[in-house]
Amino acid sequence: MLGATVMTWSGWLRAGRCLALAAWALGSGLALADITVVDDRGHTVALKGPAQRVITLLPSLTESVCALQACDRLVGTDRYSNWPASVRNLPKLAGLEDTPIERIVSLKPDVVLAAVSSRAVDRLEALGIRVLALEPKSLQDTRRMLETVATVLGRPGEGERLWASIEGRVQAVAQGVPARFKGQAVYFEVATAPYAAGQASFVGEALQRLGLANIVPPAMGAFPKLNPEFVVRAQPGLVMASVDAVADMRKRPGWASIQALQQGRACAFPEAQFDLLVRPGPRLGEATELVAACLKALPAPAPASGARP
Amino acid sequence: MSADLLTASGLSLSLGGRRVVDGVSLSLHAGQWVALVGPNGAGKSSLLSILAGLRPPDEGLITLAGRAMTQWPARDRARQLAWLSQQGEAEGDIAVADVVRLGRLPHLGLIGQAGPDDEQIVQAAMAETECLALAGRRLSALSGGERQRVLLARALAVQAPVLLLDEPTTHLDAPHQHDLVRSLVRQARAGRAVAAVLHDLNLALAADRLLVMAQGRLQADGAPSDPAVRATLEAVFAHAFRIERFGQRWVAVPDLDTP
Amino acid sequence: MPVHRAALSVPALVASLLGLSVLLLAAGVSAGSEGWSLNWRADADLISAIRAPRSLGAWVAGALLGLAGALAQGLFRNPLADPFLLGSAAGAGLGVVLVLVAGGAAGVTLGLAQAGWLLQAGLVSAAFVGALAGVLLTLLLAGGAARPMRLLLCGVVVGVLMGSLSDLLLILSPEALRGKQVFLLGTTGFLGWQHVAWMAGSLVWLLPLARRLARVLDALVLGEASASSLGLNLPRLRLGLVALMALATACAVSQAGLVAFVGLVAPHIVRRWVVVTHAGLLALSALSGGVLLLAADVLARSVIAPQELPVGVVTALLGGGYLLWLLRQQTRPA
Repeated sequence: MLGATVMTWSGWLRAGRCLALAAWALGSGLALADITVVDDRGHTVALKGPAQRVITLLPSLTESVCALQACDRLVGTDRYSNWPASVRNLPKLAGLEDTPIERIVSLKPDVVLAAVSSRAVDRLEALGIRVLALEPKSLQDTRRMLETVATVLGRPGEGERLWASIEGRVQAVAQGVPARFKGQAVYFEVATAPYAAGQASFVGEALQRLGLANIVPPAMGAFPKLNPEFVVRAQPGLVMASVDAVADMRKRPGWASIQALQQGRACAFPEAQFDLLVRPGPRLGEATELVAACLKALPAPAPASGARP
Repeated sequence: MSADLLTASGLSLSLGGRRVVDGVSLSLHAGQWVALVGPNGAGKSSLLSILAGLRPPDEGLITLAGRAMTQWPARDRARQLAWLSQQGEAEGDIAVADVVRLGRLPHLGLIGQAGPDDEQIVQAAMAETECLALAGRRLSALSGGERQRVLLARALAVQAPVLLLDEPTTHLDAPHQHDLVRSLVRQARAGRAVAAVLHDLNLALAADRLLVMAQGRLQADGAPSDPAVRATLEAVFAHAFRIERFGQRWVAVPDLDTP
Repeated sequence: MPVHRAALSVPALVASLLGLSVLLLAAGVSAGSEGWSLNWRADADLISAIRAPRSLGAWVAGALLGLAGALAQGLFRNPLADPFLLGSAAGAGLGVVLVLVAGGAAGVTLGLAQAGWLLQAGLVSAAFVGALAGVLLTLLLAGGAARPMRLLLCGVVVGVLMGSLSDLLLILSPEALRGKQVFLLGTTGFLGWQHVAWMAGSLVWLLPLARRLARVLDALVLGEASASSLGLNLPRLRLGLVALMALATACAVSQAGLVAFVGLVAPHIVRRWVVVTHAGLLALSALSGGVLLLAADVLARSVIAPQELPVGVVTALLGGGYLLWLLRQQTRPA
């Protein structure tokens, strides 16, 4: 049809008008977009204004939005976000494998904050929804994530301020860590097999701020799956894991020889606390407080302990 | 009068609403080999598996060596009656010699060790069907004809008084088919009761007795020399051939003339 | 049909597998978290406490899986059958998830934590009981072991049902997911002497019992009807074989997790090199299964030491690779 009309003079006029309209729309769109951020995929996401309706699909992102005083803008979260208590009443929009795309679209969010590994990201973007994929793995990532979220909420700089207060809190906690534990190497177990939190992970970095070392060097990655013998050889000064894991550790072959376990220098965190420790979000300060509280209750390391030759 | 090793009366079986075996009565005598013939779907295989005690009939009674089939414990029955299935089911990687040795299972049980007598029987069975050369080969590596000969040897190794074979000539070339028939004759002359479902009418006409089946019913039961049996045979195959005398033998000559 | 090349005699294969086992055990004892070390005296307590039981445990678990795999392939007359077909894998997974969930917050709300015995039982027992329960459910659904096709179908159904149940539970309690993942990928890392003793103790009576029933599998080569005609009570005997397969699988899986491919590939390795009846195949599959899992365990901890690959990933690579090679051998013209 277009081909036929172009043949005539009026056809040319009409085509020209369409082009002009398109150019204006494009230009105005760009002109109205005053917020652009880059997410963890490297994608640039542009918003017309501060996001007023926000959906978060990762607990740490939910917590970040609330920490930035924008809890009221949340219209939906994922199933596992449970802090603060007010978000529990919001529509639950995602589990591990399922994301109700239709429901998300019907809630008309201005932006969706999701994990990079979420499969919903591509689908939502294809439907015209703006998605920010953020999945912090280190402290630096967390800092960047907070500022990105703050920008998207129309409060640039709030992220940095929040980070500064977190840093300050961590500093304060670090000063309260008993001197007898300074420099001790920690073995932090995230899951059986065993998966450990190494120095390169945000957990490891946070522990480092508290003056603690890690038996897993940065070269081995953030959450490596270790040979159990490695842990026994390393003779960590401190062991940190969930309650179940610590109970299980003593039964593992060869682990009875780990002096930290023998002498009770193990922090066994209940499920809720452990969850907090492995969540890279605005409650990092609180997480470090948990660690410090545990440390204060532990006996001092025996002077003869050290790594196996 | 040779002994009745297996008798059946009034056997009936329905499958899927259809009567595949309808009121069949027969008896198998020691020293005789019988060919069971009929068009496709006549019920021959079903009848044979009922006679072997593998499938219970809806109606009717089977007596094996004087005792009702239902009274026979499985292992004892297995020593009395050997059955060869239609080929296609046997599949595996065990050696030919071990396949044939399975024929001694009814005698040895699950854990009995094969003695020198058993070994001799196994060797003889393999020699009978010309598969001694295949002894160490895997069953799965054999051709169709080779496999058939091995399975036949397995059935012979049971040395059961009653031998029931379902289409034993499948996959066999002509010389081996003739070897098979000669083998069946030998088994019969040794005092066994042999019954075989055969497709090849020329081979079947060499039997001591013919059982002609059609539509689940036994239409004729007698020697090939009996004209009534020959007439019934021609009739059930819709006169697709004529049965003629050729020297000592009867042959089925196909009617290929276009009408 | 390609004629089989280069076959071994049975004693030669046994010697090779035993020799490989000894070599791999030596490797297992030398493969530490710092890499290879032949200084056994210095590492004596690490060896006795960790490396030796772990290597032996991997071997025994592999032997149990190899035996179960040979039983499965004989029972179903299918070279692609594996011991997890009758719902044992799904059942074990469900058992593990139940215990993990019961220990978590969701478990409290569901009242599962009240069943303190669930937690006490521990993951190992849960996996063992779950595996057996899966097979039992399959047998009940199929009405016994009379019809193999029906048995297989019911196994699939039970697998799907139990898998869905455990997925449902995981939605309620996501922290259990990590634990389940670990179980699914297989782990030999924490095998101690008591686990070795338990598994070896099971193998020691499961294997001879299975060999007593081996002739049933030989007879099944001829087909259902022919095997019946040989005087075998197939429904009852098959039930016995299924029970043995379930027990061997449950023993291995409860200790080492759901290790893939060992049960599937071990009998193939044996059949490639020798022609044996099932009595020999069962024993040799156990041997080759042991070698396979031990090799995978040694590789898993030495390739990226001190990190470790999940042993199930390595067995999948080794086993899958071997099957691929086997396929290429078969499609090549004789």
